[in-house]
Amino acid sequence: MDVLVLLGEGFAGALTPQNLIWVLVGCVLGTAVGVMPGLGSSMAVALLLPVTFSLDPTAAFIMFSGVYFGGLFGDSITGILLNTPGQASAIASTFEGHKMALNGRAAQALATAAIGAFIGGIIAAILLVFFAPVLAGLSSSFGPAEFFALAIFAFAATSSVVTDNAGKGLASLLLGLGIAVIGIDGVTGAPRFTMDSPNLFDGISLITVTVGILALGEVIYVACLERHISNKQMIRPTGRPWLTRREFAEATPAWLRGTAIGLPFGVIPAGGSEIPTFLAYGIEKRLDGRRKKPRFGTGAIRGLAAPEAAGNSTTGMAMGSLLALGLPVSATAAIMLAAFRQYGLQPGPLLFERAPDLVWALIASFFIAMVVLLILNLPFAMLWAKLLVIPRPYLYAAIAVFCGLGIYATSGATFDLVLLLAVGLLGFVMRAHDYPLAPLIIGMVLGPLAETSLRDAAMSANGDLTTLFQGPIVIAIYAVLLVVLVAAGRNRVVARRRANTTQKETVGV
Amino acid sequence: MMPSSNNPTSVSATVGNRLRFQRGSGPRGIAKALIMPAILAAFATYLLYGIVVMKVPPSAAFPGPQFFPGIIAAGLSAFAIILGIQAVRAALVTPSIEEEEAGGRAVGVDWRSFAWVAGSFLAFAFLLGILGWIIAAALLFTGIARGFGQRKVLFALLVGLTISSLSYIAFDMGLGLSLPSGILGWAF
Repeated sequence: MDVLVLLGEGFAGALTPQNLIWVLVGCVLGTAVGVMPGLGSSMAVALLLPVTFSLDPTAAFIMFSGVYFGGLFGDSITGILLNTPGQASAIASTFEGHKMALNGRAAQALATAAIGAFIGGIIAAILLVFFAPVLAGLSSSFGPAEFFALAIFAFAATSSVVTDNAGKGLASLLLGLGIAVIGIDGVTGAPRFTMDSPNLFDGISLITVTVGILALGEVIYVACLERHISNKQMIRPTGRPWLTRREFAEATPAWLRGTAIGLPFGVIPAGGSEIPTFLAYGIEKRLDGRRKKPRFGTGAIRGLAAPEAAGNSTTGMAMGSLLALGLPVSATAAIMLAAFRQYGLQPGPLLFERAPDLVWALIASFFIAMVVLLILNLPFAMLWAKLLVIPRPYLYAAIAVFCGLGIYATSGATFDLVLLLAVGLLGFVMRAHDYPLAPLIIGMVLGPLAETSLRDAAMSANGDLTTLFQGPIVIAIYAVLLVVLVAAGRNRVVARRRANTTQKETVGV
Repeated sequence: MMPSSNNPTSVSATVGNRLRFQRGSGPRGIAKALIMPAILAAFATYLLYGIVVMKVPPSAAFPGPQFFPGIIAAGLSAFAIILGIQAVRAALVTPSIEEEEAGGRAVGVDWRSFAWVAGSFLAFAFLLGILGWIIAAALLFTGIARGFGQRKVLFALLVGLTISSLSYIAFDMGLGLSLPSGILGWAF
């Protein structure tokens, strides 16, 4: 029971007044960006990254994980009350959640969502305590070939599983990889693609790219659409936000099923919690169809409970694969990986050996964050919904100011601000043409790892590239990747066929 | 059952009313559709040029500093061509009304807003060192708010000044980040 001792020490480290404040700050910020449609936790973490450099790493990561989880708690509030999900991970919960609210059960819907997110997150955190050290132990035998395979896994999965056009995903990934090779080559010291400008010797900062793509690009994009956005009427919940025993009995199996569906997606880099939330919704809908009195379409509590639990259990496990393998499964996790590097820490097996106090304090803070978030969300959901009163011009203007603040504070150069605008324009064009952005971020974060491990492996084998595809772990990673890709491809074909038949049906009628 | 957009966090999917930019028709539509392939091709060219002129130390063993960027440049060129062909094909087909509706309401880009936002940020980048954080950030705030259709410019400026002053106090004086004080410098 070594891990329990370590976890206990972690709690001791996380329960200091200072760290508790950062948990609270992270949870409040995360819920706030989760509630506001259009703002997500990835944008929040990107914007916070530059201003956290003066904090100590434990405090910074405790705050980041609060933001990551908080986004998943907050995102369903506006989905339920306004039929407008705050983040993509709440789209699936909105279908039944908003119908519950329309039927006068808004308070119960909010409670179901918050408790579901809590259950998913807490189960994932418990599993993480036992599972992460095992995974870290396994990966301690990884060499360059294994890390290269892991990077390829992440590249292929993020750029082709989530997106409907694999070409666009891969193009976005290659852009990220290309940006990452700019700067002085670490192995030979040769300047690459710098045009002899000292501004580029250190490469293009990851902070500039993430803030530009995720935050400034979004500001420009929304500005160009602003005239066409209409505001909707919000439903005011009445009654206490708590569930009756019967509602509990009804929702519990869905919470647990949702959690189970979400867990494996924390290890597969398929873009985070969107896919598992939709899967959980789909399975509940199918199970509901078998009942004598199907409730879906009329505000089924299970249709809300399962996706909420799935989203948070994915995020919990995603933190595990980030800590133990250094594998980011979503854009938010990729930015956190970059944050670890900024502090000179390399997530993976060595992190558990070299910085155990940080790792375990962080894991302990997940439990604290779940409790804090449940308290923040269960009774105060209506207060959070009030955030929507902030006029959009001021909200986005403040985001733009914060972009400028973060970039200037880290570099102090006009060059980086102009670069930020250029990257923001790229982000705008990519959004307008529906190119996925997450592969670019993941490509930029993992690109250097892929290149160094490729070169290390090949050089130690005297330039023989086949060494990259040898070894049991390497082959296992590629095999899993193949399964994921085939499953994704099959799903897409099935979905397309189904779409075609429904189209024919409507034409026939 | 999947989110319709590739970037589900973007506002088109989350603000509820599904919006997207309309595809143009004719030569302008094709030109618009080719923007991303053109960016990919331009970046590939930049990388290829860089690979050619790169000064590699003679001691570098295979695979040297040019190998990985070479793969990226090749991939970028390939996808520039593939996506370019796809985009032109899509631009030549006039979508049926059903397809139009399935993809959400198509709207035009609001170029005036675009100019306000991008212009304000560009001005901010060059004026920050001279005007200092408090004034430059307040102007940036006002410009972006104007781009979002806020007509009460003076009020926006007031809100902007409050935010820039508070952030100066919190981040420069509180957290110790360095923000320029500019022409207000004598006061601090």
